[in-house]
Amino acid sequence: MSLDAVSVGIMWDRLVAISDEIVTTLVRTSFSTIVSESYDLTVALLDADGQLMAQGTYSVPVFMGTAPATLQHMLARYPAESLRPGDVIITNDPWLGTGHMFDINVMRPVFHDGRIVAYVISITHLPDIGGLGFGAAAREIYHEGLRLPVCKLFEAGVQNDFIIELMRTNVRAPDQVIGDLMANVTATKVGEAMLTGFLVEYGLADFASLSQEIRGRSETATRARISAMPDGSYHNEIQIEGVDGALTLACHIDVAGDAMTVDFAGTDGCVRQGINVPFCYTRAMVLYSMKCLTVPELPNNGGSVVPITVTAPAGCLLDAQPPSPTGARHMIGHFVSPLVFGALAEAVPEQIQADCGMMDLMTFQGRHRDGHDVSTIYFASGGFGALAGLDGAETTPGPSNMAVVPIEVWETLTSTTVERKYLLPDTGGAGASRGGLGQEVVIRNDSGHVMTVFCMANRTDFPPLGLMGGGNGKPREHRINDVTVDPKGHYELEPGDRITMIEAGGAGYGDPALRPREAIELDLAEGFVTPEGAARDYGFNGE
Amino acid sequence: MAYRLGIDIGGTFTDFALVNSTGFNEDAGTFAIHKQLTTPDDPSRAVLEGTANLLRRHGLDLGAVVEIVHGTTLVTNAVIERKGARTGLLTTRGFGDILDMRQEKRYDVFDLRLVFPDPLVPRRRRGEVDERCHYDGTIEVPLDLAGARAALDHLVQEERIEALAICLLHGYANPAHEQALGEMAAAAYPDLAVSLSSEVCPEWREFERFTTTTINAFTQPMFDQYLRRLEMGLKELGFGGQFFVMSSSGGTLTPETARRFPARVIESGPAAGAQMSAFHGRALKRTELLSFDMGGTTAKGALIRGGAAIKVYHQEVARMHDFKAGSGLPVKSPVIDMIEIGAGGGSIAGVDVRGTIRVGPNSAGADPGPACYGQGGGDATLTDANLVLGYLDPEFFLGGEMSLDRAASEQVIRDNIAAPLKLSLARAAWGIHEIVDEDVARAFRIHASERGFDYRGSSMIAFGGSGPVHAMGVARKLGIPRVIFPVAAGVMSALGLLASPLTFEVARTRQIFVDDLTAEDFAGTLAALEADAMAPLLEAKVETEALSINRRLDMRYHGQGHEIEVSLPPDVKIEALAQIFREHYAAVHGAALLDAPLVVTTWKVEVSATPPELASAAPTAQGEAAPKGTRQAYFGEDYVAAPVYDRQDLGIGVIIDGPALIEERESTVIIGPGDRVQVDEFGNLIAELVRLS
Repeated sequence: MSLDAVSVGIMWDRLVAISDEIVTTLVRTSFSTIVSESYDLTVALLDADGQLMAQGTYSVPVFMGTAPATLQHMLARYPAESLRPGDVIITNDPWLGTGHMFDINVMRPVFHDGRIVAYVISITHLPDIGGLGFGAAAREIYHEGLRLPVCKLFEAGVQNDFIIELMRTNVRAPDQVIGDLMANVTATKVGEAMLTGFLVEYGLADFASLSQEIRGRSETATRARISAMPDGSYHNEIQIEGVDGALTLACHIDVAGDAMTVDFAGTDGCVRQGINVPFCYTRAMVLYSMKCLTVPELPNNGGSVVPITVTAPAGCLLDAQPPSPTGARHMIGHFVSPLVFGALAEAVPEQIQADCGMMDLMTFQGRHRDGHDVSTIYFASGGFGALAGLDGAETTPGPSNMAVVPIEVWETLTSTTVERKYLLPDTGGAGASRGGLGQEVVIRNDSGHVMTVFCMANRTDFPPLGLMGGGNGKPREHRINDVTVDPKGHYELEPGDRITMIEAGGAGYGDPALRPREAIELDLAEGFVTPEGAARDYGFNGE
Repeated sequence: MAYRLGIDIGGTFTDFALVNSTGFNEDAGTFAIHKQLTTPDDPSRAVLEGTANLLRRHGLDLGAVVEIVHGTTLVTNAVIERKGARTGLLTTRGFGDILDMRQEKRYDVFDLRLVFPDPLVPRRRRGEVDERCHYDGTIEVPLDLAGARAALDHLVQEERIEALAICLLHGYANPAHEQALGEMAAAAYPDLAVSLSSEVCPEWREFERFTTTTINAFTQPMFDQYLRRLEMGLKELGFGGQFFVMSSSGGTLTPETARRFPARVIESGPAAGAQMSAFHGRALKRTELLSFDMGGTTAKGALIRGGAAIKVYHQEVARMHDFKAGSGLPVKSPVIDMIEIGAGGGSIAGVDVRGTIRVGPNSAGADPGPACYGQGGGDATLTDANLVLGYLDPEFFLGGEMSLDRAASEQVIRDNIAAPLKLSLARAAWGIHEIVDEDVARAFRIHASERGFDYRGSSMIAFGGSGPVHAMGVARKLGIPRVIFPVAAGVMSALGLLASPLTFEVARTRQIFVDDLTAEDFAGTLAALEADAMAPLLEAKVETEALSINRRLDMRYHGQGHEIEVSLPPDVKIEALAQIFREHYAAVHGAALLDAPLVVTTWKVEVSATPPELASAAPTAQGEAAPKGTRQAYFGEDYVAAPVYDRQDLGIGVIIDGPALIEERESTVIIGPGDRVQVDEFGNLIAELVRLS
């Protein structure tokens, strides 16, 4: 079959549309808010050889490129020739799936004319998986809940009731968990029908040559952008807050022609807290960061990742091995993005972002004034990092992306009171481009009951780093009743107690002396920078 | 004979549709249309001149017109171009930065250089006031009116504000402080335009409510002046009838209501088009429809379910990226749920990073326009492709008003697409056409899937300059068996204005557990909203018996972050609430009912007058199909000779088998080989997709 640019373009777009349509089914049929509002999910379409053809457009970065590896683990347990129509295979193993046990990976082989032509994989973050619950408190993986090996949830269309009972028995909110699991099963079923319909509509026997064409073109496009980067060996090392002291993350990036390798040698070893990062997650964060720098407009597939090789020493924080716990792997994993950006700043300075203030997640547990239980997470964002010629946006998260709960909704749901929530002037790093401002949020426990807060803050000892001469952002801080507290602790708020979240500013880009005078004047007029700050950071006295 | 006049202001033309009660048939003299170039500096000029021109041409007097319904993009444009009043904001102390902080979320995770729209009220024009209300409406901090007065004095005297948005936390739960501030501002500065969040948008979620209220305040003085000029001008022309303004929700507003709530008038033109699609569907007894409108720069779609366009409570205006949700300013007001796609006649085609064809969202606009306009456009556009494919007649564009340069189209497609991708000219043009069909189909698929709308048994209604050119291709990709090309498609929105009832809707957040709700409380809350929603209609002297009332609730399981909207039957009892919710939930989410308490969050009441009578088109003459010629047209394999028809020559019952090109003034209906189209009793063209796979 010969495919010209017209046929490839139309069929490629159609496959992406199919993955997006499966995602909408998934969102509509699942229970949990984390799926419907944060898009903590993905859908991947793979060909008969297990190569990724298309992936849902909207999903969080951490699912990039994990599905082909997960499929190989599944096929190693259940070889392709043994599979039958109606089989559904699942796992939530962090090392086979996507890095922590909350993510359920659900796979269905797609049969057409009696043979496998594709695989559909659907992944969502489940509301619960037993164990200690969502957080970093575990000392080993066994504390974190139910770990499902690769297993058949459906065999030729017949459900394995034992697996359902096993999950029900081991999780909180079993209705929701099983409901979301089944939403994934439904999504793969919808995907199967769409993919076979696609073959019929276009008169194809299978996806082999289309998949090859899609991946080949993606690889070519990615290689072209990598070629535009100067060859060289780039290095970066950053320190971040661990649970019991600082941790070092390091990376080496070699850009050679149209390919690059990223290695994390020099990174500290695993810790006995649920913040260790399995390699699949590390690799996904690298692929996400590189996509931002190379071909952000290119749909995800197996071709675009071929030129990028990622390695890490086994057992380091970024290649955690069992039984290291991984529940809150994002706390370390999110730093992969600023780590590799920092390394490439020398290579492509005009494309790289200064550090973001990142996001703060705080879990509140207690009782509402109306008597109902409260267990929910408050999100607050620091400032976005500046780029060449572009100020960072105020209170905007990166690399993760969750929306804040509106004050009016938050207060209604928790019966706490937000006393104030405002931007903090001068917190954005100075620079030719200014970092986005952080914020202060003060929440008072008005529930009439003791409320427990679990903090997971970063950027407290090590501020967001400026780039190309830009200043650092102001770091993050938590206070209870005006006393600074450990940003990774958990505390009981008595009725009337206040917790203050001071969110980090984004870092600045470029020499502050190069900032245009009008920009400084506008910042002063709007109060984003104080007169003292302007004098200190920019030597500006209004003259 | 009593006439009604619909006037819709678009980007290029202001459209007029004049009907009387016997139906819209141009031949019978019961229907007249007119197009006047829009006058962007003062849009009321085109409205008044066009009205006078239209009536003069038909020897009518404006005294014969009993009703004028007006749709305008004025409010949207004012926000996009930032041409509104100098606006200030008063808010609760400690929360002056809500407008800058937004939702603390990126609308595109891969674009590091993403930008957000600046708030309409800059930080220096915001004042904070000592006061605090809780979510249940109780007051913690009483209002410091003296301090508020000082803040206001500063905004008026130092910042010289002309409009004021008053947005207090939980103002939807207890409007007392906002009202007191409003009264204070009105007494101190009678010329100041004041908008209260508790009136404009009494729903929770402060960023959206505050932003909506600032948009309302920002556009109010300008819109008020505009309406005043218009009403005066129409009066001078002899108009003594009723005047209504179209809202974005598909209902009309009295001018008094429109002045108070200009935020409800955003995007009223597309809403009117969707309403007209629904009207045609009802006349044809087809209640499940996809309304597809494609013009010069964008395509718009809406879903019609059960004979009515689907509505939502959220839209965006002034997006930084034309087609990226989240990149604009949110407006919370009832609105027809539209899809917008950056694909129209002027959309530019190019080769993307993948080595495939990409079309839009950039557009060549009207100037220079497509290459075939001969105005120096060097980009290959969709119109160029459709010309090369033989779908458009170079000598009969806009009814022959403009001729097109086919050689120029061939040149740009060859240079920009065919040569770099090693394609034949025809294949390249076909690729451009097909990619647009695919983009539109994809947008419909996702939109329908998100709303649980099964389009496979539905019909498509196609209009706009490019809609009829692409409708059959889009329908085929979607597996839709039938496409309707309505009569008078050139003025769909202007006609839709005349098919829309006077409506007002109020939505207010009040969260309560269903278990805590008493029958009195339930009835009382709804009754209070009904009174508010009914008031503007009673002021317009609509008889109470003529009003229909629609009650809906946003509900959810406790602990779940998203609500679903449920419709309440007319005489609903509170005991039935849980069951109604469960049925809706099962319909939306499949199954998985939960054992969790139920919560009502937002209460909505919509009151409508009886929809105006708009008879369907009266039959045109019977007749045979006689082509006026043939043209070589390309349908994917080779050029074939396709007969060309003039639509107005086609009598009722005529059947035409594809390939066929059916031309009307504003567009051309493309019927491919194997498909068939028939003229129905109203003069609509109904195409059946015979080749449906």
